[in-house]
Amino acid sequence: MKTPYQILEVAEQASDAEIKQAYLQKVKQFPPDHHHEQFQLVQQAYEAIKDLESRTQYALFTVPEADFNGLLKQAFGSGPAPSISTEQFEKLLCAGVDAKRFNIAASETVTAR
Amino acid sequence: MKKKKTPIKAKPNTSGGICDAAMAKAKLDAGQYKEAIELYKQLLKQADNKEWRSALALCYFKRAMSLAEKGMIKEAMVLWENYQQNAEPPYQGYDSYIAWLLQTNNAAKVTACFGRLSAQQLDEHYPNLAALLGLLIVTEKPELEAMLPKDSQFIAHLVSVRAALAAYRNNEPEAVEQALKQLPFRSAFRDFRTLLKAALLLPGSVEQAQAQALLTKIPATSPYYQAGKLLLATTLDGLELVDELLQCEQKPRQLIGTIKKFSKKQLELLDMLVKQKDRLSDKIKFNCALQYRELFGEDLAKAYCLAALATYPAGQRDFNKHFGTMDEFEHCRLMALNYEREKDFHSSDYYWQQGIAQLKKQGESGAFKIALIMRRIALHQPSSEEGVEWLIDSLDYDPGSRETYLKILQYYEHEPEEAELYKQWLDRGMKAFPQDVDLLAQAIKAATANKAFKKAAQYAKTLLKIDPVNTFAKQVLFTSHLAHARKLIKTKKFHLVEKEIQQAEKLTLGKRYQNQAQLLRGFFVLLAEDKKQGLQQIAEAAEKMNDGSACGYFCVIVEALLMGLSLPSTLKGLPQPPKNYQLSEQEIGRLVQIIQQYYGDDKSNTAVLHQALEKIKAIIKQSIKQKTVSEQTLLMLAECLDNIGHYELLAHCAKIALMQWTKPIWLFYKFYAEVDGRADQCSSFNIERLKFNYAKAREDSDHRTAMRISRFIDEYYEDQNPFVGGFFDDFDDEFDEDDEDDEDEDFDPFTGGSPLDLFEHLPTAVFEKLQKKLQDIMRKSSPERMINTINKSLSKPIDPSFILLNPDAFVALLMLQAAVELGIDTGVTGDQVIEFGEI
Repeated sequence: MKTPYQILEVAEQASDAEIKQAYLQKVKQFPPDHHHEQFQLVQQAYEAIKDLESRTQYALFTVPEADFNGLLKQAFGSGPAPSISTEQFEKLLCAGVDAKRFNIAASETVTAR
Repeated sequence: MKKKKTPIKAKPNTSGGICDAAMAKAKLDAGQYKEAIELYKQLLKQADNKEWRSALALCYFKRAMSLAEKGMIKEAMVLWENYQQNAEPPYQGYDSYIAWLLQTNNAAKVTACFGRLSAQQLDEHYPNLAALLGLLIVTEKPELEAMLPKDSQFIAHLVSVRAALAAYRNNEPEAVEQALKQLPFRSAFRDFRTLLKAALLLPGSVEQAQAQALLTKIPATSPYYQAGKLLLATTLDGLELVDELLQCEQKPRQLIGTIKKFSKKQLELLDMLVKQKDRLSDKIKFNCALQYRELFGEDLAKAYCLAALATYPAGQRDFNKHFGTMDEFEHCRLMALNYEREKDFHSSDYYWQQGIAQLKKQGESGAFKIALIMRRIALHQPSSEEGVEWLIDSLDYDPGSRETYLKILQYYEHEPEEAELYKQWLDRGMKAFPQDVDLLAQAIKAATANKAFKKAAQYAKTLLKIDPVNTFAKQVLFTSHLAHARKLIKTKKFHLVEKEIQQAEKLTLGKRYQNQAQLLRGFFVLLAEDKKQGLQQIAEAAEKMNDGSACGYFCVIVEALLMGLSLPSTLKGLPQPPKNYQLSEQEIGRLVQIIQQYYGDDKSNTAVLHQALEKIKAIIKQSIKQKTVSEQTLLMLAECLDNIGHYELLAHCAKIALMQWTKPIWLFYKFYAEVDGRADQCSSFNIERLKFNYAKAREDSDHRTAMRISRFIDEYYEDQNPFVGGFFDDFDDEFDEDDEDDEDEDFDPFTGGSPLDLFEHLPTAVFEKLQKKLQDIMRKSSPERMINTINKSLSKPIDPSFILLNPDAFVALLMLQAAVELGIDTGVTGDQVIEFGEI
């Protein structure tokens, strides 16, 4: 789950003006009529950190989320798209030959001598 | 242990096998092939019936397919061969049979079968077998190629496949494309083509989506499906990838790891996740975050562990070891939030207060946080009174919070006994925020309630300067002008009246208000200028203001009474509602509106309203008898009459309503009106009936009525015994039936509690810790030694007789000692315990 700072892409030390600027840019990027959900996220993020009081409230009363999936996402995060060597491609094909693959569906009525 | 086969005996052939044949057919139809096979075999022993043999063959085939589905390939093969012996060509499932032979590596039979396989069969009749053979030839069994018909399309396509693979090996994408183009849609290598095309697209990030789209086209029944799935997995990242890998076997998982160039640590983490897949406890996740923090990043791992401490507090030591000791305030904050999440506000308050103590050490810089925490604590207080105390305290740390002022005012506004405090807070608020719209509105309301119309008008004017369209301010100003105009008429200062009315009219509030001003002008003309013209103006205004004559008549009476005029002479010459006049439902609604408006303008108008209602009482009584008046309208009228305390009409309303609707609210209004709203006058019998109706209202989820009844019953009991709480005190606030903690039958209002109550604020966990330590101390030390230790912490040594007389105080003092030894700040001092004990 992203923090309001991450959603608006501002530093935690950003000023009111910087946060507002970032918010307006995001609203331009995600206008409510086309990106309703994204816009709502942006809106909520802005409300959470728009001024000193809300930022202090956020810092004091937000329950930090123990997001294990977030850790895994980080550990196996996006890397460059892999290129597959012939050997790897053949291994992939071999990995596909398992017992289940042999149980093919019988074809419709056929002739066998 | 093998099960003994129980041969199914065929019945003696009494009717030429017809009975057995029917039974066998029934078994076949029911899918009980094993039993059907036995029965048909018995039948065929009696006679070689073509139909029975064909049915037996079908049984063998069906059973073969069903066993193959369960993975019992060898048994399936035997059954299919039995099928072949009993059936006439064409045979069903020949391709499946060959696939089973391939799986069991039965080379001799495979060779024999392939020897009988024609090119047409391979290319056209057995597409699934052809696809499987294609995959086997390019992977594990290239020798199969030699056994297949050379003239088949399959072999021709295999050449293209090989060419594509060779080009792929030589990194010649165009040649790959060229070779793959030779494979038509109906080729046995169709899915191979898709797979290789996708592999070719992969390195590019833009083409990745195309590759993914291609791979999803491979059907789940294809022999290439698994390979496609794995290739698709290599395009995933993050959680999606992990999910996919956790479903894979070890070999393909490792292959994907190699393709994705996973580090040793990543592979280790993956193995750990696979091993712990279904039992990833908070502890395992916490330790995992610590162990693989170089993969997660120090900051993310720390943030995770910090948050995870809420559900895995035992990790605190490891956390401190790896990330350093946690800031004391942060610890308190997390504990408080954790308890809040569990709705244990008693414990969360404790930790918030500990946190506040930490922040106080920071001086000015912690003040704002302290104020916010105090406001947070206020939200969770069991009573509004305690909540407002926290709010008030918070202003010491952040005096600039207008919301806090408003909340405090809202509280005192609804506490009639705290009128003075309300006034004080309003003054403080107005001083701090003289231009605040909400505070000005509060000030207007307060001034109006105190009949300080001039002051109210001043506030309203200020408010209108800030917010020129503020309707509330306009209404207040309007009421104020009219009230002033009435006063002027009453005191016969006629020369100032018109100006006042004009000022009221200038406030654009709508027709209804204009007509009300016009009505007052009528009175002014009547008294000061021309009686006839005045009467006419009054009649016109009253008519315009209301739909029917009764409401207008009522308005005129109220206005006359407000100006202290004699009713007979004023009403003489004005149209009056006919004797049998009946108010429509709409008119009843309007009448309620008028009453509420006058009552809202000035609460002391009640007597005037009662007097005016006397004049139309008969009409109202007659009107509500009509069946056409809805319960909602009647309820609205009853609530209005309750507000102004007109119990006679209220009783009549309840009586009429109870004839049609037997709801708790009506019974309540009946009893309530019978005693003029005085609970002390209510009979115990009626109170018992109300208790029953209270339960019924709750059952019906009519919380409003339940609350109303409970308050009345409370008043009744408070009047019976002013020293104990009301009947519903324990659960009045939140209707919490399950909360048995408050049931305190032995509570004696004349005695204090125990000194141990001083520790009541501690969370259960802390209290239990102290108790454990206390037991330790009591076990290890003699009483004399314990008293000596306690005395050291007190400003004045205690007398041993005090301990004999106050065993609870002694335990409380030992609790304090336990707290000192455990390093827990309880906020309680020894002197406080002594003081409490002495009481």
